[in-house]
Amino acid sequence: MNRVLIGSAAALILQACATQSEPPRAEAPKPAATTTAAAEPKPWPAGLPADALYDPNAKNGTIFYVPTTDTATLKQADHPRDLSRWLTRSHLDTRGVPPPVKKTLDGPLNGNPEEGKKIAMNTGAGNCWACHALPGDAQPGNQGPSLIDFAKRGMSDEEVYQTIYDRRSVNPMTAMPPFGALGTLSDQQVRDIAAFLQSLK
Amino acid sequence: MTKPQTLLSALACALLGYAASVAAAEPYREYVWDATSNPPGVEGDKGHTDTYQYWKDRSKLPAMNGADEWKLNWKFRDRPGNDQLHGGDLAQERGEELYKKLNAGNAFAACMGAPDGNLKGLRLKYPRYDEDMKKVVGMEARIEYCAGKLGSKLVNGSYDNSAVSIYIATFSNGMPMAIDVSQGPLKDSFERGRKVFNLKAGRMNLACASCHVQMVGKNLRGQTPTTHYGDLTHWPTWRGKDELQSLHVRFTECDKNSGVQPLQIGSQSYTDIEVYLSALSNGYPMQAPSMRD
Repeated sequence: MNRVLIGSAAALILQACATQSEPPRAEAPKPAATTTAAAEPKPWPAGLPADALYDPNAKNGTIFYVPTTDTATLKQADHPRDLSRWLTRSHLDTRGVPPPVKKTLDGPLNGNPEEGKKIAMNTGAGNCWACHALPGDAQPGNQGPSLIDFAKRGMSDEEVYQTIYDRRSVNPMTAMPPFGALGTLSDQQVRDIAAFLQSLK
Repeated sequence: MTKPQTLLSALACALLGYAASVAAAEPYREYVWDATSNPPGVEGDKGHTDTYQYWKDRSKLPAMNGADEWKLNWKFRDRPGNDQLHGGDLAQERGEELYKKLNAGNAFAACMGAPDGNLKGLRLKYPRYDEDMKKVVGMEARIEYCAGKLGSKLVNGSYDNSAVSIYIATFSNGMPMAIDVSQGPLKDSFERGRKVFNLKAGRMNLACASCHVQMVGKNLRGQTPTTHYGDLTHWPTWRGKDELQSLHVRFTECDKNSGVQPLQIGSQSYTDIEVYLSALSNGYPMQAPSMRD
């Protein structure tokens, strides 16, 4: 465990150093030409491996390809989000992920349950409902426990906040994304979801 | 960041660089523990989802629906159970046309690994270590390569490339997948593929195995992930959203949907996952053309 922690700390330092210096660009592919006239070509993101489907000058950077019937080429399409800052499945990726963290709740929860609901029940945002049953969802997920009457569990605000921020700190084998630790959601968004869950009676 | 701070941290980085490189050859990463995926071969599902018994024989699928439908591993979309004409059939026709045009003088077939022009069993030779390209490749990568040598452009992942792939695969229908991952570059590729399959990545920290091992059979709202055994014998496939997808194009969609930055079609990581999953289909018969939702 100690070795892992030391390794992670070193990795974090390395990452910080990598973002500071100019990344090796020799192997970075030339971005595909875009139809919109870009004022200034943007650089390849630091740390992003060369075999990523990415075009710095595309709308959100991250792209994918669409096959079109009866053609021998691929059409480039924009991903709704720039995903370059997170670890990829590429062998060329030298980055890691942030290790588990037990985050203390700073001050009162101060979350907005209405906002939390919007994030939790949105596939493109928190997507909590993919795995958990939530009130009013006709297609409840059942990978994680039901959250229908979550407040009845009587968990403290801090426990709920910590769980959403990084469930790995409690259960290292969890499949639940560490929304706070990974920067998937902002600290305020984590608070909003916690407030939403604490309102489910 | 102001200049003195930049200088200071640059110095700190330089000083720490040596210590860090000694302490951490690998950055901190997480893997889904997946002991069930050790044995290559479709029978390995017996210790995983135990659904192989239901989809073992495509011609004898039991009646299942609702919450149990996932146990059929989508094989009810294959023939003989599904006899409707679909986009995969049209792709096969297109593939035959393109193949015959490319193969004037048998050069294309020879390049693909069938010097006598007999395509029977050719699909089963892929993925393989490619002496010309000096790496492990899937069949679609080799199609692009051979077409290129003959002056034609068939981009890996494109409709036309997949159409040729489907046409070639039809000659191996009913023959079981049988790639040898016990030695050499394919073994290395298999091991790399297994590791990547279990690597947690992206915005949601999800591995392929998060859904197909940890959450297999569970409801993710309207979707239920199925076993990763026996899935590599029907690609490329016609998707219900009206798209002919090669396996690597499907991988970009998997990445996209799980919040992971997708990779180039034909990238080594995707090819290694292809090898890993192909070996987990060993013993299961080919089916082309095919369709999936």
